[in-house]
Amino acid sequence: MSLTFDDVDFGAELPPIAPDVTLANVRRFTTASGMTFARFHDHEQARKEGLPGAIVPGIMSQGILVALIHRWAPGAVVRKIDTIFRAPILVDSHPVARGVVTDKNDETRTLEIDLTIQNEAKETRVVGTATVELP
Amino acid sequence: MILDLHNHSIKSDDGRAKVENYCQWIKKRELGLDGFVLTEHRQFDAESDYRKLEDEYGILILKASEVETDYGHVLVFGVNDDLRAAYDFTRIDLPLELVIRETERCGGVAVPCHPGRPRVGMCAHFEAKGPVEGVRVIETLNGGSRGEEDAAALALAEARGYRGIGGSDAHIVSQIARCVTRFPNEIRDGDGLVAALRAGDFEALSWK
Amino acid sequence: MEIDVEALKRDWTGFTFDTAEFEALTADLVGFATACGETAKRYTDPSDPDFQAVPNYPSRYVGRRVLPDNFPRLGGGYGFDAGKCVTPIAPIRAGDKITARSQIHDVYTKTGRSGTMLFIVHRMEFSNQRGEPVSVVDWRMVQQDRGAQ
Repeated sequence: MSLTFDDVDFGAELPPIAPDVTLANVRRFTTASGMTFARFHDHEQARKEGLPGAIVPGIMSQGILVALIHRWAPGAVVRKIDTIFRAPILVDSHPVARGVVTDKNDETRTLEIDLTIQNEAKETRVVGTATVELP
Repeated sequence: MILDLHNHSIKSDDGRAKVENYCQWIKKRELGLDGFVLTEHRQFDAESDYRKLEDEYGILILKASEVETDYGHVLVFGVNDDLRAAYDFTRIDLPLELVIRETERCGGVAVPCHPGRPRVGMCAHFEAKGPVEGVRVIETLNGGSRGEEDAAALALAEARGYRGIGGSDAHIVSQIARCVTRFPNEIRDGDGLVAALRAGDFEALSWK
Repeated sequence: MEIDVEALKRDWTGFTFDTAEFEALTADLVGFATACGETAKRYTDPSDPDFQAVPNYPSRYVGRRVLPDNFPRLGGGYGFDAGKCVTPIAPIRAGDKITARSQIHDVYTKTGRSGTMLFIVHRMEFSNQRGEPVSVVDWRMVQQDRGAQ
């Protein structure tokens, strides 16, 4: 049974997820999205560009956060998602995506969710918010 | 009294937090925070009036600014009309010396923030260009610090006898109260905060 | 390098500088969703009656031109992606022909860990083959003044 607006309290935490940012999966993403830049799917080429290794595309990070929302509430409709890419997430690393409800609007039956992706050092690499409508 | 001295709302270009949601979060999570300061990027938000929220939630809400200088970012407390006329808050290349001098002259306090951060923190600029006189307080604990950035700030404070404050640098609601400042006496308004900062009797705390 | 933000705003914001067309291919919709860890069937299973692109799917589209012709290139390149804001309006379905209109929505400067940065807010408005709006994506591109670092 999908989560409804009335089921959710202000401050509710979404179950965190450990997204798959292995090289193989990032390559699947870049193929599907047409993102051919080597910095996303080739560690060596990324280092030549001055990066520590291949990096996860920002829009993949955003997609991971959207998936976080849908895993928690399959019936959720994302009305807006706004993400700031503060620092790169490295391919083959082990980040964690988290969300928490920080606003509940009874009139529009929408929630605001704070979203973050942190690396292993618990540094926030991606931060943002989503406005989500629940049934 | 415990205050979070460095936070951003939707008024900042990269802020996503609504002020009422900060209040709700503080109460819901029982964070033990008595108040917070909104330090919006490159502006002073003169229009917003948070007194109703203060009364509703019993939380002190003060307004300040975060400006950008040739030595990194600086929190400016005690912003008034004289200070807003003294230098252009929207510039990204204000001379630190000017910001400190004019803020002091107009009755405020300028506090270099996240001094250990690359390029936008004072430490790196001190190394390259030498110190600037007039700094008394710096932000030694910042909620968004990475790696050894806070350690560098603490080392600078020790070396130069600066007092240290704590601030979360929150840009979303759930980031508030990561780092805070404890004052021994009650603070009721912006003038009280400036007086307390000038008195130098406070302590930075990390609640991460 | 001195950046005249007001001149950039005056000269470059508020007009469509590029129009591009795309087709929402089933394989791409599924690949994008599953790589991001999506589990809801309406995004991962083409046989689902409500099969559609994930809400942030349009953020993958890049027009024929990323910036208007002759737009200044601080640092020499287009810059890097500092963030995206997606406002989905209607579902994008497999087979939809999507038209994207690009404009520069805003320009501003700030300093950060990377140094002095010029933020360019690039707005793309997407509509489908029926002319119905389906999404708006604001893309914050950052150009860096490498000379000032």
